Amino acid sequence: MRKVLLTLMVLLLGFGMLYSAAQQEAQFPTKPLTIVCPWSPGGGTDRIARFMAEQLTTVLGQPVNVVNKTGGSGAVGHAEAANAAPDGYTIGNLTFEVNTLKYLGYSTITPNDFIPLIQFNEDAAAVTVGANSPYKTVPELLNAVKSGAEGKFSFSGSGIGTVWDLARIAMLDKYGIDPKRVKYIPSTGAAPAITELLGGHIDVITCSYPEVAPQVLAGSLKTLAIMAPVRNPDFPNVPTLKEQGIDWSYGTWRGFAVPLGTPANVVKILQDAMVKVVEGEAFKTFMKTNGFGIQVRVGDDFGTYMKQQFDALAAIFKLAGYGV
Amino acid sequence: MDAFFSVFQLNVLIPWLLAMVLGIFVGGIPGLTATMAVALIVPLTYHMQPVAGLAMIIGVSFTSIFAGDIPATFLRVPGTPASGAAVLDGYQMNLKGQGSLAVTLDLICSTIGGTIGILMLILVAPTLSRFALKFTHFEYFWLGVLGLSMSAIISKGSRLKGSISMIIGVLISTIGIDVTTGYPRFAKGNIQLMGGIEFIPIMIGLFGISEVFRSIYTMQNMKVPVFNEEIKVSFKSLGKILNRNKRLIAQSSVIGTLIGALPGAGADIAAWVSYGLAKRTSKKPDDFGNGSEEGVIAPTSANNAAIGGTWIPALVFGIPGDTITAIVLGAMMMYGLKPGPLVFEGERFLVNQIFSVGLVSQVFLLVLGYLGIKSFSLIFKFPRNVILAGIMIFSMVGSYAIRNNIFDVGVVLVFGIVGFAMERAAMPLAPLILGRILGPMIEENLRIGLIKTSGSFAAFLNRPISFTLFLILVVMFLWDPIKKIVVTARARAKKQ
Repeated sequence: MRKVLLTLMVLLLGFGMLYSAAQQEAQFPTKPLTIVCPWSPGGGTDRIARFMAEQLTTVLGQPVNVVNKTGGSGAVGHAEAANAAPDGYTIGNLTFEVNTLKYLGYSTITPNDFIPLIQFNEDAAAVTVGANSPYKTVPELLNAVKSGAEGKFSFSGSGIGTVWDLARIAMLDKYGIDPKRVKYIPSTGAAPAITELLGGHIDVITCSYPEVAPQVLAGSLKTLAIMAPVRNPDFPNVPTLKEQGIDWSYGTWRGFAVPLGTPANVVKILQDAMVKVVEGEAFKTFMKTNGFGIQVRVGDDFGTYMKQQFDALAAIFKLAGYGV
Repeated sequence: MDAFFSVFQLNVLIPWLLAMVLGIFVGGIPGLTATMAVALIVPLTYHMQPVAGLAMIIGVSFTSIFAGDIPATFLRVPGTPASGAAVLDGYQMNLKGQGSLAVTLDLICSTIGGTIGILMLILVAPTLSRFALKFTHFEYFWLGVLGLSMSAIISKGSRLKGSISMIIGVLISTIGIDVTTGYPRFAKGNIQLMGGIEFIPIMIGLFGISEVFRSIYTMQNMKVPVFNEEIKVSFKSLGKILNRNKRLIAQSSVIGTLIGALPGAGADIAAWVSYGLAKRTSKKPDDFGNGSEEGVIAPTSANNAAIGGTWIPALVFGIPGDTITAIVLGAMMMYGLKPGPLVFEGERFLVNQIFSVGLVSQVFLLVLGYLGIKSFSLIFKFPRNVILAGIMIFSMVGSYAIRNNIFDVGVVLVFGIVGFAMERAAMPLAPLILGRILGPMIEENLRIGLIKTSGSFAAFLNRPISFTLFLILVVMFLWDPIKKIVVTARARAKKQ
């Protein structure tokens, strides 16, 4: 009797496991999914994430929710996503900062801790000065920095070791200027830096063009160039750094990834759904009205991009003298 | 005028009123803030006309900042960060059986403060925002010091104990990633500590949870309802109180709007500063902290006035005055508006609509706020043990909700114990909160200011506004000795 019962139970268990495995393979997702956003509700990353969640809900047929896990300059949210169960139900919203966490000593998380799904946005850094500034191009500005006294120019844009700070450091270095020749005034984001520039308390800021566009259009600020290889069709009047003779492009980006160990078929389902969303008209309209740039890299392309950026950052951090 | 009437269409009014009702709940539940409510509302508004979306945001801000005073008064749990200062005298009035008078005063003064804030937005926005742009690290440093010196003014009892409490708050604020260097201080590799210790769980723990512990400790009768008093206030006595405090209401509202208009300071700092100044300029400073009506009126007028203030730089320059207007500026792009200097000139009709919404919201606030007070008073009919359990649960859920982090729940409980212990030692709690809020403001602005000047302190004194702020600080500290000298000199003169 006991033997029969045991065999039955083993059979039942085996069958159950097979069934659930089959079900998972056949029809992922079977329950709601979560996107972990490492930045606050209402910010740029959060707004795109919520839009993507809404679109993915339709494509995947399961509710997709956004959960904000903020703190530690992005460390909390990225770590949460990297350490989630690798079942595809928790998707990490990666941003440029995933590349910097290790250098800054905030976390051991690097892009290598994720399976990249898709990158869907990139915004180039723009070099912006006050409307009354005498400089018309970036080389004019940088020549003045070169010949002026040390510490004469104050730059800002965001916090220490953030994308806008690193873009500035590398640009100065490309032009043969020691980054420490200028003062960097750290701020808690682009908005306070713009306020400082408007008030005439600093000289130059580096941040994305859409962030300064309202002020530029109103004539209170002046963007000299964006750090991109080609002009952006959404704002064709803004020249590139390359046109002005400095071959340097840099910017922030956003994308999705899942933890290492996620089954390949699940990765494929998620990736296909995301590709479908970013190819849709709704996505393009959303990005355009919000002023976010579109840049799509799928799977390994995205992974290679992140890895190259991550490796290149070692030199930039060394130049700046930041981190551990 | 067209703009004014255009806000009274059903597809604006309905979402607007719903948002204002939501604001009462958000404000009433500790941990849920107006900023969170706005962030959640914004995606819903993408398909509406801009004015409907903006009306929802403005409406929810006003009701939630007011409603934060209700639990602050009845339960000693500030509903939003802006109600931190409302705890001090509101709760004391409640202990004297004047809780309903306190919240009614909160409601009316919130409405008056809100109206003054919006009127200043309408009348002097361009001038004020140009003034606000003159503020940089040097000025914000002194503003922070001025705010922190309030802790000496607001704490009752021992100055020494007040200072210790303040210093604990400042020290706590140094935990986490340092803005000036990007270095994670006192985090020891702990990713939670890197984000710093959020101040909302500290505040809820110190005031709310510690009060729960105290009730248990003193073995109060758990079976009786917390409040038996009906929410009934005679309009006659109310009119009298408002009349004798009209100067204070005006003073607090103007200060609130000014501080709100500064991109580096918001409603919470406005409330504390106006509370401190009210005590400084009061004829009865000793009543503060013991249930003074002035102590209730000042912060509640200021924090609602600050909302109008935060819209000043947002509308004129397109730079956010606080976290809510930061979200609004993002939302405006979805409405197809380019936020920034051009909105104020180019979208005059919409700007007028925003003004109208701001003013009409005050009328709605009066009605909805009254209903809010009424419905909250129903909750208080429950016996004490149910209420205390409810405070615990809501405090924990609320602090979890701030950043979806279980760590913050631990923070609430730890600071509940800390608050309980501090009160046993007769150490005031408010200075700790002030230290936590203003510590980073002082430290970052001092250090970044010194980066700017390459280490010279001169700019902290030789700029007109920074010097004025410094003078105010000196006068505030010398006020008492000077008053004493003048009084004795007069007395002597009389004798002779």
